[in-house]
Amino acid sequence: MIEIFDGAMGTMLQAGGLKAGACPELMNIEAPEVVKKIHRAYIEAGATIIETNTFGASSLKLAHYGLENRVHELNFAAVKIAKEAAQSQAKVAGSIGPTGKFISPLGDLDFDDAYNIFREQALALAEAGADFLIIETCIDIQEMRAALLAAKDVCNLPIICQLSYSEDGRTVTGTDPQSAAVILDAMGASIIGVNCSLGPEQLVPVVKILAENCRVPVSVQPNAGMPYLEDGKTKFPMDAKTFGSWGIKLVEAGASYLGGCCGTTPEHIRELANVVKKLIPNPSSLVPTLMLATRSKTVNIDKNLPTVLIGERINPTGRKKLAAEIREGSLLGVKKDALNQVKAGAKILDVNMGVGGINQPEMMAEAVKEIARITDAPLAIDTGDAEALEAGLKNFPGRALINSVSFEPDRIKNFLPLAKRYGAAILILPLTEKGVPKTSAERVAVAKKIIDAAKAHGLDDGDFLLDALVMTISADKNACLEVLNTLKLYREQFGLPTTMGLSNISFGLPNRPLINSTFFAMCLAAGLDAPIMNPYDESMQNVLKSAAALLGKDPNGLNFSREQGLGNREQKNIIALPTLDAIKIAVQEGDKDEIPALIKKAVDENFSADEITERALTAAMNELGEDFGSGKIFLPQVLLSAETMRLAFDELKKILPAQETKTHGTFVIATVKGDVHDLGKNIVGALISNSGFKLIDLGKDVDSAEIVRAAIENDADIVGLCALMTTTMIQIDKVIADLHAAGCAAKVMVGGAALTQEYADSAGADAYAKDGVEAVRLAKNLIGE
Amino acid sequence: MPIYNAQILEIDAAETRRYAGLKTAQNFGEKNIADACAEALILSEVRGVWELYDYKNCTVESEPPFTIAGNSIIKHLSGCEKVICVAVTVGAAIEREINKKFERGEYLNSVLLDAAATAAVEQAADLMEKNFAAKFSKEGYKMRWRFSPGYGDWDLTAQEKLFKISGAEQIGISLTSAMMLEPRKSVTAIIGLEKKGQETRGKGQGNCAACNKIDCPMRK
Repeated sequence: MIEIFDGAMGTMLQAGGLKAGACPELMNIEAPEVVKKIHRAYIEAGATIIETNTFGASSLKLAHYGLENRVHELNFAAVKIAKEAAQSQAKVAGSIGPTGKFISPLGDLDFDDAYNIFREQALALAEAGADFLIIETCIDIQEMRAALLAAKDVCNLPIICQLSYSEDGRTVTGTDPQSAAVILDAMGASIIGVNCSLGPEQLVPVVKILAENCRVPVSVQPNAGMPYLEDGKTKFPMDAKTFGSWGIKLVEAGASYLGGCCGTTPEHIRELANVVKKLIPNPSSLVPTLMLATRSKTVNIDKNLPTVLIGERINPTGRKKLAAEIREGSLLGVKKDALNQVKAGAKILDVNMGVGGINQPEMMAEAVKEIARITDAPLAIDTGDAEALEAGLKNFPGRALINSVSFEPDRIKNFLPLAKRYGAAILILPLTEKGVPKTSAERVAVAKKIIDAAKAHGLDDGDFLLDALVMTISADKNACLEVLNTLKLYREQFGLPTTMGLSNISFGLPNRPLINSTFFAMCLAAGLDAPIMNPYDESMQNVLKSAAALLGKDPNGLNFSREQGLGNREQKNIIALPTLDAIKIAVQEGDKDEIPALIKKAVDENFSADEITERALTAAMNELGEDFGSGKIFLPQVLLSAETMRLAFDELKKILPAQETKTHGTFVIATVKGDVHDLGKNIVGALISNSGFKLIDLGKDVDSAEIVRAAIENDADIVGLCALMTTTMIQIDKVIADLHAAGCAAKVMVGGAALTQEYADSAGADAYAKDGVEAVRLAKNLIGE
Repeated sequence: MPIYNAQILEIDAAETRRYAGLKTAQNFGEKNIADACAEALILSEVRGVWELYDYKNCTVESEPPFTIAGNSIIKHLSGCEKVICVAVTVGAAIEREINKKFERGEYLNSVLLDAAATAAVEQAADLMEKNFAAKFSKEGYKMRWRFSPGYGDWDLTAQEKLFKISGAEQIGISLTSAMMLEPRKSVTAIIGLEKKGQETRGKGQGNCAACNKIDCPMRK
């Protein structure tokens, strides 16, 4: 059965007398007849579900008009009007719009505050007798999650969840329709859909993806095309007939609830209803498989798909440094491990905050938020603490995995309701209060009990990942065989995806990597779908890649071949060159690994420090300067060479502490008063100091008097002044004047983004350097070399 | 004023390369650039704030009103009836690491991290624009690309007023007496909304085209 929603409310209210800048929801009290008339017009046009005039009737939105205390009254009145208008001809959906704020960390609205705001409105709508609640036009999945939780907590009505997508097919905050479908379906939305922002044409593909990824009906309420402004009014270009004709494509794509949003009128709805009312909706053909999602990506774990690697590194157990960081409240190491594991191929990240003496729920919430900000890998919340689990699930803007649910009474009692509430999948650990069952048959039996308990809590086949439970072979000779058998039985009896932490198998044995990787290969063959492992482990990665080729998951070993072909590039053997030439090339290529050994070699060959400096290091920099000047290389390359030079000098000093290399002179450098940019100045300083000058760096935002004092005190040969902006370069004039007044004989070189040769000349500078390489050349000129 | 701390999932390596002045040095520093982008992602603390104002007779009708001076910006906003004033930053932590790296003698990585931070703050500003586009296109508005003090002949001293009315202070940005934003990797800008027009913003194209420094190594 196809259901028809109504169309736009706002424009109809304006036509009915709503003043610009007035609160539309106040019409429910002040002009109920106008609202009712609009409802009637839509019902007469064929709408079977009408939406209440409550889109902005949350306390946060009403606060714009000072009406935040009238949430109950305005929502109640709206349902009453709608029900009177609908009689038995249509159902009433209580409309809930977004708050207009983003939820932390994307904005300054706390998740719980958002929940409470939605809860208040949903409760009023439900109590007043709405048939549905419709949460619509959201652009942030986290806001939708808060609203859906609130709506489900106050009533048993069917909840419709509609996000708005931009032209790139994602919401403003990056959510794609597949992830939205996965997340909202698991959380118990009754209908999932899309409204506003785009016209029907652009929404066909969105509807299709939604329908392919959820088990519930799909709704769509497009705008009447893309808007434009005319005479100060927003207009929508699509006429009713064209709008209605898109109904066919939308139903084909999978929609069964259709209506209109901005720019649509009763005429649009009439045309749409006429076109679609005779159509038969496509029922969902989705076979539930295990899908996890983040705000912007879905990961599917299934026996027919490539192996999914779950990264285990975000776990302080046995990692002292990480534990200490977490205890101090720093998540820097956690974030690094998140990014690096994803880079190493992890598709899901396990997150464990098990450090003693911390507030685990708080830390879990923070960790989840921070990780979800920088990666799009779904998370497995790894904890035994129900509060920490809830904090993690709530703050994760997606569908997470719970690691883990065993058959221990606490886990069954506390974890399963949380899984259902937050739409999380569960990792099933076949463990009882009495410990680990020894045989595969016993493990399968325990797993079955957990599955049954989970199903009793409303979970289903797409929500489970089965752990085969790895014990150590040094304690039980059959540990490996039992695991392999458990994997097979899981596949045969349940057809559900499987996981395990691998490394326990080799505990207490020598050469653990060999045992681990051999075991890994066996498990993959026996049906392991999602190993929990260290993604940085090269031998395990090699097994994974070769096994993919062997097990047909990398057809004909194509990826394997491609990867093996890489990384075999030949390296130039500069060691074979005469040593000073080799040093020169190492500096030019920025080869920091080789340089210390080459310097030592040169010293061993009895070259003096001066010879090494002049014939190799300075020669290298001179050539680099020329290449830079002619545009063959760029500043970052010169800097890498400068770093290498620095290492070379350090090494020289270490080996020949007595031999002083001569300096060209003293160079005092500063960024002038008022200017906080110092990277440019630092670059010049680095190149100068690595070209044989003694550098005195005064830093940034330096007062003129301080520069003059330092120049005189250090008997500077050159003073280098840097200014980045037009607002600060006038300081250069002042410093030069002060230097002259103080009788300082040093030459003055100036530079910085805003400066020019003309400006330098008028300020009385001796030289203007447009970049660091030029600064080195000019510095040598100024001191007459 | 509304807050939007946009989510960046990956810092644009090509843009980082461009900001590092390596646009045409394609075979250099691939790994260093990737590392800099990853590190910048970890260290970025993206925060953004904005406000919408009416715009009439070259004046932003804020409290107090802000009269725009400068031919390029006046031309850029001509025909607009509203403007969005926006401020965005990636925070101070990344700044500290850029300095630390240089002090440790990691010149290259310091410069690349600096470039990645620039790419990050520009991306954050792009994402804020995406939010504005979705919000205001519903009402039929088209957006002009963002324009900052210092572009063209819009004097840097305009920063003082724009700083106030964009809400920059609210997200921890401060303004020095020389009109510089701190943390350094911050942007304030004005975005015009017009009823209709063809001028849509290609990624970052606008700001380079408006700049007179045609020998800039970062120019597009």
